[in-house]
Amino acid sequence: MELRRKLEILADAAKYDASCASSGSHRKRSEGGVGNTEGMGICHSYTPDGRCISLLKLLLTNVCILDCAYCINRRSSSVQRARFKPDEVVRLTMSFYKRNYIEGLFLSSGIIQNADYTMEQLILVAKRLREEEQFGGYIHLKAVPGASAELLREAGKYADRLSANIEMPVQKDLDSLAPEKTIAEVEQAMTDVKFGIDDAKDRSKKDAASPAFARAGQSTQLVVGASESTDTVILTKAEELYKKYSLRRVYYSAFSPADETDKKLQDRKAPLLREHRLYQADWLVRNYGFRANELTDGLKGGDLDLEKDPKLAWALRHRELFPVDVNRASKSLLLRIPGIGTNNVERILKIRRVHRITMADLERLRIVMPRAKWFVTAADRNPGALNVDSLRLDAWTRPKIVQPSLFELTTGQI
Amino acid sequence: MISVAIENSFASWRVAARRLLINRVRPEDIVWTAGDQVSLFESASGEEPDTGFSVPRRFLALAASVACFDDVSKWPLLYRLLFRLKDQNARLLEIESDPDVHHALMMRKAVKRDIHKFHAFVRFRTVEVNGQEIYTAWHEPQHWTVEAATPFFVRRFGAMRFSILTPKGCAHWDLEQLTFSEALTRDHAPPEDPTEDFWLTYYRSIFNPFRLKLRAMKQEMPVRHWQTLPEAVLIRDLIRDSQNWEPDANARGSKRQNTKG
Repeated sequence: MELRRKLEILADAAKYDASCASSGSHRKRSEGGVGNTEGMGICHSYTPDGRCISLLKLLLTNVCILDCAYCINRRSSSVQRARFKPDEVVRLTMSFYKRNYIEGLFLSSGIIQNADYTMEQLILVAKRLREEEQFGGYIHLKAVPGASAELLREAGKYADRLSANIEMPVQKDLDSLAPEKTIAEVEQAMTDVKFGIDDAKDRSKKDAASPAFARAGQSTQLVVGASESTDTVILTKAEELYKKYSLRRVYYSAFSPADETDKKLQDRKAPLLREHRLYQADWLVRNYGFRANELTDGLKGGDLDLEKDPKLAWALRHRELFPVDVNRASKSLLLRIPGIGTNNVERILKIRRVHRITMADLERLRIVMPRAKWFVTAADRNPGALNVDSLRLDAWTRPKIVQPSLFELTTGQI
Repeated sequence: MISVAIENSFASWRVAARRLLINRVRPEDIVWTAGDQVSLFESASGEEPDTGFSVPRRFLALAASVACFDDVSKWPLLYRLLFRLKDQNARLLEIESDPDVHHALMMRKAVKRDIHKFHAFVRFRTVEVNGQEIYTAWHEPQHWTVEAATPFFVRRFGAMRFSILTPKGCAHWDLEQLTFSEALTRDHAPPEDPTEDFWLTYYRSIFNPFRLKLRAMKQEMPVRHWQTLPEAVLIRDLIRDSQNWEPDANARGSKRQNTKG
């Protein structure tokens, strides 16, 4: 098969993995080599679906021995199959990278023969890039659940990031949709990767020259909407995974049936807005000091409110804490004001040391006033705050529904 | 009123601002104009006299960024900030909601974003010159960011010869030195590179037609950059073929949910 056709098939097959992050890794270019990483990821392009292109995202092959109902590459699907030779992926990566199209490679694969063999094939590509091409750019490899701890340790030597996808929050979902998979096996892969990361950190404390291991950490992905599991179940699992395995990110992928989708899932689909609300809640748990159960307690049917963001929804349920005085409140309370993001909380803390903050100051900081004004008081009069207990506040704060981009989702402030 | 002519460079502004500050010239008494620098206040000894004021390092870093902004209003703004730092409040920069500070921070933000997009949107094409392969790009930055943005490419691609050509100046790396040259016009853009065929194939295939978020795309990849991005020629057709396409989605971005059924 012609290389261009393979690229078409195996990029198409890879697009259901939402992750395209290239941040969190620092590597200097080696003498005579090509590529480095400087911590901040770069989105080199955007497609009309609003997603960024940072990495060359490919499957090594879309041949797969598993039969997961939600996956377009499952063995019973009739999609056309292809398989790259390792050198073809190396060549594509290098020629794209040298033209500044990408930050690096994200390589995944269908399961061929068994988990270990598949993992070996992924490692082979990464090893060639690092050792033969002296490639210093970003590499994200899929950690194949079921692969041996030794192979995952080797993968971590070459990769900046490893990810084992959990796909579903509970075993019951996997039993009905992907009976060959177990949560335990995925979490074992996460355990092995975490061990590698922690071990490398310990060694680097004693010897700065000791080899790095997946320096941009590990992440995972959940498919949303293919199973019955509610947002409450999903967020509870995500929070558990963050704690147990120190994940950098959990990605949520709204399920959308395609032509090749398993018949029993044809009518299942998750609105993109649901995916968005999960990302917002996830962001609040990671950066705003919320616990998952604060955001999910008392939700009707267990799902997040599609009409308002989870922080606003929480504030409306806890009006007794508001309005908050921006000149006096603690940082943790400032972080809970709807419409004020982490950066603006830092600014407010800095400014109020030398200046009494007014409503006009807040406007200039580009705080989202239509949401924030009901919940704050400042040095001057704010009539909005008088209405914090009004029954109509629910309606007044309801925003127009606009879809945000993945970039906003991954970097945006709430 | 005093008229001060400076070149479009931080160094030029800095020399002028220093002299003005020593002579306690108030910001509202200055008209800043573009041109060759003329010495305003000759210092008898030829040495730089002491301003009697140490400028906070934070201000210099901020000013160096703001100086890249593509609007001459940056010069009076920077002097006003400097004057107020000395005259009013040495901690002025901490008040990010102050209108002058806020304005300067907005300019810095725009410049930083331009540098980030510079790093993202340069597309190298291989050109052979005297038997040597030179990775050459045509890029159109919005601000005066060529000198600030190009050392990044040396760190990353230091083993490759490259030239980045722009209408705001050019940068060249010969494996040893990064040099800058005069601005060029778009007709100096290098011809297509055969690898772009594969890049466009990738761009088309990684697009997910079940999601359409044009507003988000345009926000992060402004239309003004499209003509220097080879993949942008595909955007119209991808939108049309997308199963979510609706006529008004083009203008406002789709507000509809995923409707593929």
